[in-house]
Amino acid sequence: MSPDNKVKLNNTVPSSLANQSFVHKAWAPTAFGVVAVLVGVALLFIPWIAGDFSYTRVSQVLIMMTLLMGLGIVTGTAGMIALCQLTFAAASAYAIEWMSVHLGANTFGGVTFIVYWIIGALISLVIGIIIGLPALRLRGVNLAVVTLSLAFAFDLTIVVFGFPENQVNSYIVRPFGIGGSSSQKDMFPLTVLIIIVTAIIAVALVYMQRSRWGSSWKMVAFSERGTASAGTNVQFAKITAFAVSAFVGGLAGGMFELVYRQGTPLLFSPYGSIVLYVLSTIVGSYLIDMAFFGGILSVAIPFILTRLHLQAFWGDILFGVLGIQGLTTGSNLGEDIRRGMRKGKRAKQMEAVAEAAAVETHREISSVPIPKGTGKPLLVVDDLTVQFGAVKANANVNVTVTEGTIFGLIGPNGAGKSTFIDAISGFLPQHTGSVTLDGVKLDKLTPSRIARTGLRRTYQQDRVPSTLTVGAYLKFVSRGAATRDEIDEVLDFFGCPGYYTPLSVVDVGTRRLIEVAAGVASKPKLLMLDEPAAGLDHEQHIAFGERLRQVPTKYGVTLLIIEHDLDLVRAVSTELTVLNFGEVLASGSQEEVLSNKEVLKAYMGETEMM
Amino acid sequence: MNLLPQILAGLTPGAFFAIVGILLTLMAQLTRVVNFSQVAFGMFGGFVGMWLETGRNHLPVWVGAIVAIVVTAILSAIIGWIIATWLPNAQMAARSAVTVSSLLILVAVGAVLFGASHNNYKPLLPTTPITFKVGGTDLIVTYNMIFLLALAIVTVIVMQLLLKKTMFGVRLRAISDRQNAAELLGVNVKLLNVGVWAVSGAIISIAISFLPSTVSNDYVSFSLLVIPGAAAALVGAFKNMWLALVGGLVIGVLQSVLASNPNPTIAGLKDWVVFVLILVFLLWNQRKEVWDVAR
Repeated sequence: MSPDNKVKLNNTVPSSLANQSFVHKAWAPTAFGVVAVLVGVALLFIPWIAGDFSYTRVSQVLIMMTLLMGLGIVTGTAGMIALCQLTFAAASAYAIEWMSVHLGANTFGGVTFIVYWIIGALISLVIGIIIGLPALRLRGVNLAVVTLSLAFAFDLTIVVFGFPENQVNSYIVRPFGIGGSSSQKDMFPLTVLIIIVTAIIAVALVYMQRSRWGSSWKMVAFSERGTASAGTNVQFAKITAFAVSAFVGGLAGGMFELVYRQGTPLLFSPYGSIVLYVLSTIVGSYLIDMAFFGGILSVAIPFILTRLHLQAFWGDILFGVLGIQGLTTGSNLGEDIRRGMRKGKRAKQMEAVAEAAAVETHREISSVPIPKGTGKPLLVVDDLTVQFGAVKANANVNVTVTEGTIFGLIGPNGAGKSTFIDAISGFLPQHTGSVTLDGVKLDKLTPSRIARTGLRRTYQQDRVPSTLTVGAYLKFVSRGAATRDEIDEVLDFFGCPGYYTPLSVVDVGTRRLIEVAAGVASKPKLLMLDEPAAGLDHEQHIAFGERLRQVPTKYGVTLLIIEHDLDLVRAVSTELTVLNFGEVLASGSQEEVLSNKEVLKAYMGETEMM
Repeated sequence: MNLLPQILAGLTPGAFFAIVGILLTLMAQLTRVVNFSQVAFGMFGGFVGMWLETGRNHLPVWVGAIVAIVVTAILSAIIGWIIATWLPNAQMAARSAVTVSSLLILVAVGAVLFGASHNNYKPLLPTTPITFKVGGTDLIVTYNMIFLLALAIVTVIVMQLLLKKTMFGVRLRAISDRQNAAELLGVNVKLLNVGVWAVSGAIISIAISFLPSTVSNDYVSFSLLVIPGAAAALVGAFKNMWLALVGGLVIGVLQSVLASNPNPTIAGLKDWVVFVLILVFLLWNQRKEVWDVAR
């Protein structure tokens, strides 16, 4: 290969320029926990300074914080409306009291309560899964309707029947020998216990938000299809969010029991759950610090109002107004504060990312010829037909993609290209005909299964959630197929911003490159790219084509590419198939197909024919 | 056991749930909102009307009723306007979330103005029952029940005719199906949206004016009667108003029959009818795989 074949280059600055702005803070969650404990301890003294000594109020703040943290997972991270957080607390509180009454308050000595506490939270978890079931496939407001009806029904029932300790007129026994009074002597150790537990929950949730589960929650909130195509079961992502949220709610129920020692319906009213939901959306309680702030607000505002001889309901009116304001602007206090704090920094970050991308376009890339492939058929599509009512979007399509090649699928708008990809990737189970990947039949599999079988895809629309970082996104999509070094290498290869860059500072065109990089990093047998180059300028186009040509040999990933840009198709594809009105118009090697008269006519229109 | 009296008794709340369900369906279809403050609007208006009639004001009943209807329609229109202005293209969940906030505001404001609970609501229409005998059983029918049932049926018929037979109805459907396209055709989307909100507010207010206080008299739980209404709407999958009507009646009757059971545990099940119904219908609706977006 002659040096002339190399892509024009201006300079060869490493692409890690964008990385400089983003430093990974692995210690952050732990530091967070330590700060939380310190602030909690400091809080212990505030009532003392204020001259109104009340550890109960400190505990209340932390209970509200715990409730808000749990709620934040479903309402903030996974983006749904849940209106029964106090019911999860009530269910667990009820279970704790029931066990305490029927199984004995000292069955396990000093830790009896702790045992019951965990069991109670697990019971809440199960309830969370049950009420989550209806929201698994349907989105929208279904969860709101179910949760509100659960809160209402549960409330009516406990109003009639009362809590178990109330029925026998006794109280739960606090753990570790802490006495049952509300005096300072007993409330101090109790508050310390609640601080420790809240801090543990907070740290655990921060780690969880950064884990696979956390990524899947953010992903599902952004796009269900994108989640499934990344090989993650959408239902599983949602159920884990419900389960964790309900479990944390259940733990808060135990805290109520610790403080009050006997439940009353008033503590867990549906009205309270509605207030919590609104408060959660106002502050953005998926952010731990904001959950803490929300906890302070929910206790401090009624306290101040009482001092002013006003009804506590004025606080709820304020929350309601702020809630409408926040919901209509699509923001919350936590995000606003964060945005304000990094205003200048953010502009710099975006600049750095854009600059790196510009440099990237001109980076030297060794040019390789179009890959020839191994000759082994990888994807065999036989007689594929997709019908929407009377319209056949795909009619008897036969396609064979050879391993190690780049297969181009072209055709005019509405020719059925995206339908073809949708059908193969499992989103149109009503299709007829058969699809086989490397000998495995895909027809009956779900999209997430198909993705895990080794067939990945990208989308025409932006399916990369702005709530993740580049690295977290690649880690999530590749499902452990790529090591950290490999992820960095792929990002570098495609000229994407670095691992810790937040996707919120990345433009849409680059996000699509990142989507392609993520697909490659997952090392599928076949990666289908749906118009990957839309949104790139001409020079980026050429550089992108050069890179794509290397993918089959470099990463062992066969490509199927849908593209409107004929230059790119010509630059990369080994074989081509042209679709028109859902049918295969021509198929074969690139030269054959592109010189076919029928193809030129259909694709370019009569007038553009030479 | 002859259940006929219980069935008849259940038709009154049932008809109210049906009206709520019908209105929720209408709003979901035309404005892409599940309005959680639907009943709270009407309740607030109703309490304003009641306040005018009682206490120092001593205004005639019909003045109170008209004020209630106007107040409710205006409140509803304000929230509709807010959603149409700031969340014109948002998804249903985001638009509906606003009504959770307005529910909170209305309940809290109501509690501040009219007292938090145990505020006995007084219906505007006479509650003198009509009694008649069938096969040795005394059956009681109230004017409230007849009126609420009639209101439910008339609302469905009028809305069906309006939406399917008139040019105005076509426009209304257009703003929900293809809002941007309707806008390009010169349809005033916002005005129509707000109009739908105001009308649904007025209808719920009329219904509440005739609702006997036996259904609920506590401020918060009154507002939460939107839940059985939502269950009724779910029976028709938030699409079919006739099924919502049937759903509402079935819920009312089931609750009434269960409540009459001498065993307190079985009687307590009446509170779970709505939850179970919602769970079952949602699970049924999602038996097929549904994705968040078409492509």
